[in-house]
Parts: sequence; structure tokens; C-alpha cells
Amino acid sequence: MKLNITYQERYSRLELLLRFIFGVFYIALPHAFLLFFLGLWGAILGFIAFIVILFTGRYPESMFIYQVQLLRWRLRLNARLSNLSDGYPAFGLESTDEYTSLEVSYPERISRGLTLVRLFFGIFYVSLPHGFILFFRVLWGIILSIYAFISVLFTAKFHKGAHTFLVETIRWNYRVLLYMGNMTDVYPPFSGKETANDQ
Amino acid sequence: MFILLFLEKKLQMTNNDYHPLPQPHELTEREKEDAMGAYLMMFAALATSLPLPVINLIAAIVYYYVNRKKGRFIHFHCLQSLLSQLPTTLVNWGLLYWALQIFFFKNFEVNDYFYAYLGFSIVANLIYFIFSIAAAIRARKGVFMYFIFFGPYAYQRVYATQNSLVYENEQPPANAKQNLNKPPF
Repeated sequence: MKLNITYQERYSRLELLLRFIFGVFYIALPHAFLLFFLGLWGAILGFIAFIVILFTGRYPESMFIYQVQLLRWRLRLNARLSNLSDGYPAFGLESTDEYTSLEVSYPERISRGLTLVRLFFGIFYVSLPHGFILFFRVLWGIILSIYAFISVLFTAKFHKGAHTFLVETIRWNYRVLLYMGNMTDVYPPFSGKETANDQ
Repeated sequence: MFILLFLEKKLQMTNNDYHPLPQPHELTEREKEDAMGAYLMMFAALATSLPLPVINLIAAIVYYYVNRKKGRFIHFHCLQSLLSQLPTTLVNWGLLYWALQIFFFKNFEVNDYFYAYLGFSIVANLIYFIFSIAAAIRARKGVFMYFIFFGPYAYQRVYATQNSLVYENEQPPANAKQNLNKPPF
């Protein structure tokens, strides 16, 4: 998996204020409305893909592409809502984005045994340990976001360290989502940094 | 009336009025998987954890409209799956309505008719389930399986040369209307 949110040298203060005051109306609500239904469809396809994997050992390619497109849309929305990128997130599953990118290579085979292990024990060996650390990372991320908000408001610059930390938290979260969604067999590392496995 | 009209139309058509059927080796893995997915929409209600019979039907309709233009093979299986789901959905809705009237609203009492209908519903669902799984396995192998009534209709609808739908994996037909936009004078 390759996830990136481009660091901008300068951020728009006007856009920051617009997002802060009206963002919920003109960004969050319209996107959340559409993503709710698309997410529901994604859940149905994810469940069907699970059954298909159990019998064939393959994630159906069309369903895989849909899930990646859905994740991409969520990523560009999250990037705006957490002020990591300027601009308006594009609607549509096939839309592209200037500042965010997510590439997930299609696995030819998915282990059936691991799929069952994930179903029965995933909560213990993935969700709990990763969720525990991510919980504190997200808490710290909220504090950093407030700091970055003030920083952008007065200097038009996002603190580079805060940006990296927030992107790494999102990357970590996406790796866990991909693993638990049977889209990869690579166990997510306990880090948000880019690794050698990122293709 | 509908069946008679369909049969009459079918008798009038010759083999030349249909596109040739693809053989398994001519289909891509993705086409086979997409065709298989159509039958697995019967699990949609399980995925959403909502025990409403209409969920499967909605999922089948969405799947049909999302995938039908990808290829004739996919279109055929999506249509057959969608059509075969209609009677089962109606039977299940009937059962749900009757059960709610008995156990929730207390308007009726459990009687032999209810048990008979319950048995009929279980058998209908089992038949639907077994046939759908069999069709999904065959579709995964690139093989056609025709359900009674629905199979021939879906074949007629998709593979007839009269079908004007443009598929992503085919060249647009020569008679496709290209010059729709014309200047005002």
C-alpha cells in the first residue's frame, strides 16, 4: 500500500476559516451523505468478497477496485476535514486528487486460512493492539491539529512534524483497514512510516 | 399473455438472430468473477444484518445496473440472478407479513395454513439457494446455466442481435446512432 498526502509549502488561511466555520455544511454533509450509501454497498461487497475468498482464494478484482476507490474518496475527504490539504475534495469514485494518493496493489491470492483467522481472532491480534496505540495517536493528533490550525491561521504554514505525524496515523489506520478487510495478507506494522513492503 | 408473446417471438427468431456464446477460455477471470458475484447478492441481507427480504433484491438491482455494461456474459448472469430473485422475495415478504400479523400485531393465530406456507417458503428458499450456488460455481468457470423461465428470457434479452446495449468489451454496433447532435439550421 502506498498512501501519501502532499505537504504544501503554504496553506490558504481563507480556506481554513471557511472549512472551520462552514466545512460541515459544504464538505462533510454532502460527502458523508453519498459515502454512507457507497459504504453500505462496500460492506455488502466486502462480505461477498469474504465468501468468495473462502472458496476461491481470490478477492474479486472489480470488488477490490471498488473498495480502493472508496478508500481514496475517504482519504481526500479526511485530508480536507483535518486541514492537511487545501481545495475541495472531488466527488466520484473514479475522481483523482491533486494532494492525496492511495495505491493498493491487487493481490493475486488471499490466504483462506488467514481469512478465517482474521474473522475469529482478528479482534485480538489486530484490532486490540493496533486500536490501543492508534487511540492515543489520534488523541495526540487532535492536539496537533489544533496547534496546526493556529499555525496555519497566523503563518500560513503547517508544522512539518505535525503533518508527518497525522499522515502516518492515517497510513497506519488504512493498513489496519486493508488487513481486516481481507485486501492484503501483510500484517500491518506497528508504525505509520513507509516501509519496504509499500509497493 | 406475456409468456405467449415471448414464445411467439422466440419461435420467429433463428440462430442467426443471436450473438455467438463465448466459450470459457474466451472469458477473462474478471468477467467470470463479476458474473459469479451476481448470484452471491443473496447474501446481501446477511452483510447488512437486516433480515428484510427486500435487501437482497435491492442489492441485485444495484449490482445489475453497475455491471450490466461490462459484457454480455456478465449482463446475462446479472439479469438471470435478478429475475430469479423476484419470486423468492415475494414469497419471503408474504411470510414476513403473515408472521408479523401473528406474532407482533396479534391479528391472526398460527394455523395449519401458516405452517404450510412456512414449509413452502423454506423449500422455495432452499431451491433458490442451491440453484444460485450452482449457477455461481458455473459462472466462475465461464459456463452458462439456464434457470427455468428466467434463463431463456435472459438469453433472449442479452444475446439477441436486437439488444442495442453497448458493452465495454465489444465494439459499438455499426447501426449505433452516432449523429444525434445536429446544428440548429
